[in-house]
Amino acid sequence: MMGGPIASLHPLSRADGSASYKCPSTGSNVLGSVNAPVELPGRRDALKPEDATIEVFVKPGTAPSGVGERYVEGILRGALSRIVLGREKGYPRRGVVITLAILGGESIGRGGSYLPLLPALLHTSILALLSASVPLSMSLSATMLAVNPSGEIVRKPSITDARAAASLHVLAFTSKGHLLLSESEGRFNFDTWDKVYENALAVCHGTSTLSSDGDVAMTENMDTQPLEGFVRDTVEDHIRAEYAWKVDAA
Amino acid sequence: MSSPLILLPGDDVPADYLPSNASAPLRLGTGLRLLSQPNPTPASTPSNHVLTATQAGILSTDNRRNAVSILPSSNRRYIPTPGDLVVAQVHHSSADYFHCMITPQSPHALLGQLSFEGATKKTRPMLRGGDLLYARVLSTGLGAGTEVELTCVNPATGKAEPGGLGPLNGGMVFDISTGMAARLIRASSSSSDQEDGVAGLVVLDELGKKLEKAGGFEIAVGRNGKVWVDCSNSEEDAVKATVAIGRCLTTIDEHNLNPTDQRKLVTKVLRDMKIES
Repeated sequence: MMGGPIASLHPLSRADGSASYKCPSTGSNVLGSVNAPVELPGRRDALKPEDATIEVFVKPGTAPSGVGERYVEGILRGALSRIVLGREKGYPRRGVVITLAILGGESIGRGGSYLPLLPALLHTSILALLSASVPLSMSLSATMLAVNPSGEIVRKPSITDARAAASLHVLAFTSKGHLLLSESEGRFNFDTWDKVYENALAVCHGTSTLSSDGDVAMTENMDTQPLEGFVRDTVEDHIRAEYAWKVDAA
Repeated sequence: MSSPLILLPGDDVPADYLPSNASAPLRLGTGLRLLSQPNPTPASTPSNHVLTATQAGILSTDNRRNAVSILPSSNRRYIPTPGDLVVAQVHHSSADYFHCMITPQSPHALLGQLSFEGATKKTRPMLRGGDLLYARVLSTGLGAGTEVELTCVNPATGKAEPGGLGPLNGGMVFDISTGMAARLIRASSSSSDQEDGVAGLVVLDELGKKLEKAGGFEIAVGRNGKVWVDCSNSEEDAVKATVAIGRCLTTIDEHNLNPTDQRKLVTKVLRDMKIES
């Protein structure tokens, strides 16, 4: 079993916030930066005078970006605009610009599926937003699951698993456990999706099982921690290091 | 209160971390918002209110002012707020205003030609592009595209309050993170006899002791992440001492040094620059 994902906060010094994220199973490596709040060019702010405009740019490492990137940018913008509080002080009429550069991993050809990259892109954006101190209502975590032709659910599928799968599903959950995003591809039925949902929730949040004494224990039936905890630990470690002078003194 | 509490967006602030001063209303600072939870039994009690974080950071409470806020990341970009002290650079001058730069990426801030202590139409400072100022943010306007206004004088009294507002002559400016600037302001405004200094910074006290013989130094810390340092009293060592102070501050900021390492660094830098202390 490979280890958990690797992430770092604030690797770029000139951006307001940035993060890098490497997913071990698909090998995708994403560097993201967030600049917010920025003045928007032109009169784009007039479309939504009371809210911040969120812009997402996905830059593939080796190829010029095309229609696939525009599509995934739309998905990311939709999901992130639900958790960014664009009406907080200083944000209305301004922009939140998220730039995601794909540094490594399998490159996605023209017309190829973007789903294997989507969890890494989502995690990079949420970590970068957190490092830029953009007001958010909650944080998120995302995972991809593959259903192979015999109907088994594969957690953390590799690129080869994803190619062989009958259907692929990317689900994102907020830190409160709400379903934020569900993108699926291939042939599947509702029962399969329900199973996928249960599995994805377990990967992101751990499964809550009622133990014999009636306590709700958060157990991880995986050998790695839930992804939600991973996001939290990454951010907490960064803050602890940054405020070492305050944390140590207390 | 035990160890500092780190919150992520969406986390509720536990009630026992809030200041217990019930006489004054609770002041909410940055990174927090008040949400009312829908009550399952609407008839019995009014809805519950919870404080929820909107940013990731350490919860900071002030019992005296009955305030609670979240400390933001120390590398964040400077966003002007009224009352902040900043080190600004004049870009150009127009009939009524000096157009100043606070941060390179933001539009110019305005500083009235007469917003100086004792300035009249006849006697006012003649500043040219590139000159430095220590100023206070007067207003930031509402919404996008509004101008930031600076002042070098307290409009109520006509005095430069606190002392030192106005043009900065000589010296040199160093860039630091906004978090470090906030710590330096706290450390330089309140002197303590604690071993660890204020806000974990002993560098200013240490430099002050070591450079006393060389003539001391002047420092102006701007919230916008700029420090102006001047050692014009220390004749032949002026340039060396200025650079040494800047080097100490930027290194401490970059490597997040603790008080012991700060003392070591000050000694090392001064020795490397051949400044006798």
